[in-house]
Amino acid sequence: MNDDSRTSLVLAVLTVGFAALAVALFRTPARPALTPRPPLTQPQSLAGVTPPGTIRISAAQLISSGGDASGLACYSCHDQKSPPVVKYDANHRVILPKEHADLIISMRNCVECHSPADPVKLEYTADSTVIMPEAHRNLAAMAHGRNENCYTCHEQNQLDRLHTPEGVELKFEEATLLCAGCHGPTYRDWNAGIHGRTSGYWDRKAGPITRQQCTSCHDPHAPRFTGIIPMPGPHRSSREPSPPASTVKSD
Amino acid sequence: MSDLSNPEGISRRSFLRASTVLAAGTAAVAAGLAPLRKLGQFSSVDEFLQKHYKELTPEEMKAVLARIEAEVERQYGIRPHVRDYKPLNGVEFVYALNLTRCVGCRKCVHACVAENNQSRNPEIQYIRVLKMPNDGTFDLEKSDPNYAPKSVPEPGSFYMPVQCHHCKNPPCVKVCPVKATWQEPDGITVIDYNWCIGCRYCEAACPYFARRFNWSAPSIPGDQINPNMSYLGNRPRYKGVMEKCHFCIQRTRVGRYPACVEVCPTGSRKFGNILDPDSEVSYILKNKRVLILKEELGTLPRFFYYFDV
Repeated sequence: MNDDSRTSLVLAVLTVGFAALAVALFRTPARPALTPRPPLTQPQSLAGVTPPGTIRISAAQLISSGGDASGLACYSCHDQKSPPVVKYDANHRVILPKEHADLIISMRNCVECHSPADPVKLEYTADSTVIMPEAHRNLAAMAHGRNENCYTCHEQNQLDRLHTPEGVELKFEEATLLCAGCHGPTYRDWNAGIHGRTSGYWDRKAGPITRQQCTSCHDPHAPRFTGIIPMPGPHRSSREPSPPASTVKSD
Repeated sequence: MSDLSNPEGISRRSFLRASTVLAAGTAAVAAGLAPLRKLGQFSSVDEFLQKHYKELTPEEMKAVLARIEAEVERQYGIRPHVRDYKPLNGVEFVYALNLTRCVGCRKCVHACVAENNQSRNPEIQYIRVLKMPNDGTFDLEKSDPNYAPKSVPEPGSFYMPVQCHHCKNPPCVKVCPVKATWQEPDGITVIDYNWCIGCRYCEAACPYFARRFNWSAPSIPGDQINPNMSYLGNRPRYKGVMEKCHFCIQRTRVGRYPACVEVCPTGSRKFGNILDPDSEVSYILKNKRVLILKEELGTLPRFFYYFDV
């Protein structure tokens, strides 16, 4: 064998090699087509995360702040067959009518007692405000330790006036100062912006901050927080589908 | 074979044989390389040739932001505002979290997902809330991130949310072989998603399990996209890159609180400028008992846990 024939031989071997490579690559199945992902279950699983216990912000506040209103049980009062006309603002948030401004003033979610299947018939006064039924009068839970006597804080003759144990008179809007009388360290933290929820701007020059008063979050008659339903936990991978809404709620 | 060895000329037979071998060889090479055509992970040549974030001139950055806006609009059907927010002078961000108040409701986790355009499926979350037994051990081995009771807090437990600690001595930045992640002057550790090669060294280096990897292309419903985006922050990520908490760079660099701070129903989360002696975080570091997670590692986190009382 001389050089030329060896060259031809090498070329031929290379050709066979590359041809085999091509055949092998074309025969290996192409990357499988993307399988459609399982549907997102998050919106359903988030239903019912509004705390069932005490809430101290009204439905209107909750909705206008963009909060999760999915747990509000509209149909415990409204008839599901003839639902009310819902109006939206520019941000596509529900505008609540004026009568609802203090809807959760009783600090209880309606479904705690009322079944949505058995809606309540609302009764109105002449100027179309809702008449509070007698059974709601005593809804406020009393769990404030030694302060369960109304007149520890309220004026005896005028319940919308407050007074400290030392007898200093306070307006109803000054309840935070009343709390401060006993909860000094907490009030000091609150004043420094450490206690309670703060939203808006950390940079005071850039914009305002929103602070909450004591009674925005705590029921003054039962200040301790009751439990809330946790949001769903992590789902480890896409192969492990999100748990259905029912397990999140009942588990 | 004698024809080929003839130095005087090339015979017809040897020419045909040689050109057949050549043609077959060329075709075989081309066919062998054909699968490379399917490696089109870059949507445009501009994206492939894009420079490192720190080397982009303002004009180039403008073009990059416009390109990303167009990409997002094409993919999600919503026109976003992608901006490159710069760090503020005289600002160093610090985070403080009250372990006494946290009830483990995970509202922060989901507010973060919505604000930062995190993939819904596969699920990517920057914050992991650990349920810890209140037995005095403070043992992370006993923690449980998958708790799902009817109601929180559960007696005998406390809750410790963990996210990026924005360390002053960050192990993740040290290990990055391509400098795709670095610390900004205001203390935020950021990632250039276009420069990241997805080697996941940083994920392994982080002692707080704060970094997440996009194993597949993120999926976000178009109507849930947050259109207020930043280049180093919450713009949609690509398959094969790392991501993590960036202190809501698109909010905090214009003076706002991060999404997790605003949503926390118990006010456990506090955020601010540590260089401002009147800020909330300065008050906490001065007046509260503060805990640094895995302090012995010397990472110097800008994330502090604290206690009331």
